[in-house]
Amino acid sequence: MGIEVRHLTKSFGSFVALRDVSVTVHSGELVALLGPSGSGKTTLLRVIAGLETPDVGTVLFDGDDATRRDPRDRGVGFVFQHYALFRHMSVFENVAFGLRVRPRDQRPAEDDIRRRVHELLGLVQLDYLGDRYPSQLSGGQRQRVALARALAVEPTVLLLDEPFGALDAKVRQELRRWLRRLHQEIHLTSVFVTHDQEEALELANRVVVMNEGKIEQDAAPGEVIERPATPFVSNFLGNVNLFHGRVQVEVHDEAGHPMPMELDGERSEAVRVIVGDRVYVRPRATGTP
Amino acid sequence: MDDAAGGRLMVGTRPARRLTEPAAVRWLLTGLALGFLGLFLLLPLAVVFAEALRNGLGAYLDSVREPDAIAALKLTLLAAAFAVPANLVFGVAAGWAIAKFRFPGRTLLTTLIDLPFAVSPVISGMVFVLLFGRQGLLGPWVAEHDMRIVFAVPGIVLATVFVSFPFVAREVIPVMEAAGTQEEEAARVLGASGFQTFFRVTLPNIKWGVLYGAILCNARAMGEFGAVSVVSGKIRGETNTLPLHVEILYNEYMFQAAFAVASLLTLLAVVTLIVKTILERRMHGGH
Repeated sequence: MGIEVRHLTKSFGSFVALRDVSVTVHSGELVALLGPSGSGKTTLLRVIAGLETPDVGTVLFDGDDATRRDPRDRGVGFVFQHYALFRHMSVFENVAFGLRVRPRDQRPAEDDIRRRVHELLGLVQLDYLGDRYPSQLSGGQRQRVALARALAVEPTVLLLDEPFGALDAKVRQELRRWLRRLHQEIHLTSVFVTHDQEEALELANRVVVMNEGKIEQDAAPGEVIERPATPFVSNFLGNVNLFHGRVQVEVHDEAGHPMPMELDGERSEAVRVIVGDRVYVRPRATGTP
Repeated sequence: MDDAAGGRLMVGTRPARRLTEPAAVRWLLTGLALGFLGLFLLLPLAVVFAEALRNGLGAYLDSVREPDAIAALKLTLLAAAFAVPANLVFGVAAGWAIAKFRFPGRTLLTTLIDLPFAVSPVISGMVFVLLFGRQGLLGPWVAEHDMRIVFAVPGIVLATVFVSFPFVAREVIPVMEAAGTQEEEAARVLGASGFQTFFRVTLPNIKWGVLYGAILCNARAMGEFGAVSVVSGKIRGETNTLPLHVEILYNEYMFQAAFAVASLLTLLAVVTLIVKTILERRMHGGH
């Protein structure tokens, strides 16, 4: 399903979270909302989910106005930053919840619910943990339960709020890879919020960089790196894959002066390195991060 | 800095001293606590039963089975039977509103919930007399509709509900605030209606808090003296609750009977405490 938001503005008291934001997410895309905290990215995600109502602006789902539609009727799957698993329910019941609360005439039979939940738990490789409670799971496992629960209702859009924020680096890598594979398999229109540039660039088809409630740039990952639209974007993405180092050896000319360095293919008289200087080396973006 | 270094040294040389107080201090503190407990709680409890049984079991049973005592017991249970369910509903609703929403007047509501705690029970009772009494604000209206509130059972129920109001809300608010609103949001997005969200997500999360609050509320409802005493009029067999009945018997120098009826209240309290302990264990035991 395609999502279009037009001219969204939302404020909380005197704090303006979104200022005239317009974004289009095409069907099947995996879009990252990237920005520092307070940039409005989570608010935008929550407006799409229907958990917040915008002050001004419209949200269109496949061209239909869904701005005031109740969250339960939007067909979105939402993965919360801290997972928000139902703590008094087993993993199985968590995943089954969305099916069990359906109106009687749309509710699947108990056997079908069982099958579907096991299928989903298998998909997130947690079928053996169905009887556990959320408090007995690790962060990565909770995250996957949250994903399975969101997918159980067969959403047309998957929204993820800082999906890997609270996980350690290794689990994060794994889940990231897993999510990308999942997206390749089922092509579910997905939007995720992150403040981690690497995550956004690695996962998304398109990156929407936000700052102070406005969109700074909306482009493919390669383009965001190669042609940052604003100083903010280049600054915010500036430290991707930076290697920090210190100069160990100087190159001298015959007179003993430090030699000019070649930078970006040009010899520059202005740049000389001296032992002890800090240097930052960055691989040049080649399009695919 | 010096302290830290010294501390580390001590850990190395005399670990036991760092971990706990000297034995003498421990014994003294434990002894004080137990002594206090014995003097102010266990001794009076023992006296109640000793005095109640002073003239033998037969006399005890006679005073407990006396019609006025039974009427008082019934009235006490009736008041609690109204107060506990009413305050369960009020308390959960108020707690829900306060913990889950930001609205104008929220702080005021939080303060108002504590009002019955802050105001002397006697004043609480007076308020009802001033409202519904013959000279009261709503007195003429009450008389017109041929009702009796003050010096009758409805007044006692009202006063009991009022003084035991804060317990459930007080227990529920912190639990709800700690739980936050994310699970409710998750339920909404997953397609649950408001009712389903409340009964499947909100309520199960706070059930122990609710039960604990209900028990405290019940204890207070059965034991309330001040407010009920003002609105009751103390008509024997009609508007006497157990605590009031005890007072009347005592004032009439019927000590043995007074203590016998008091022992009933004590037993109710003991049962409440046992249930409360069981609940506390379960609350901390996880699911």
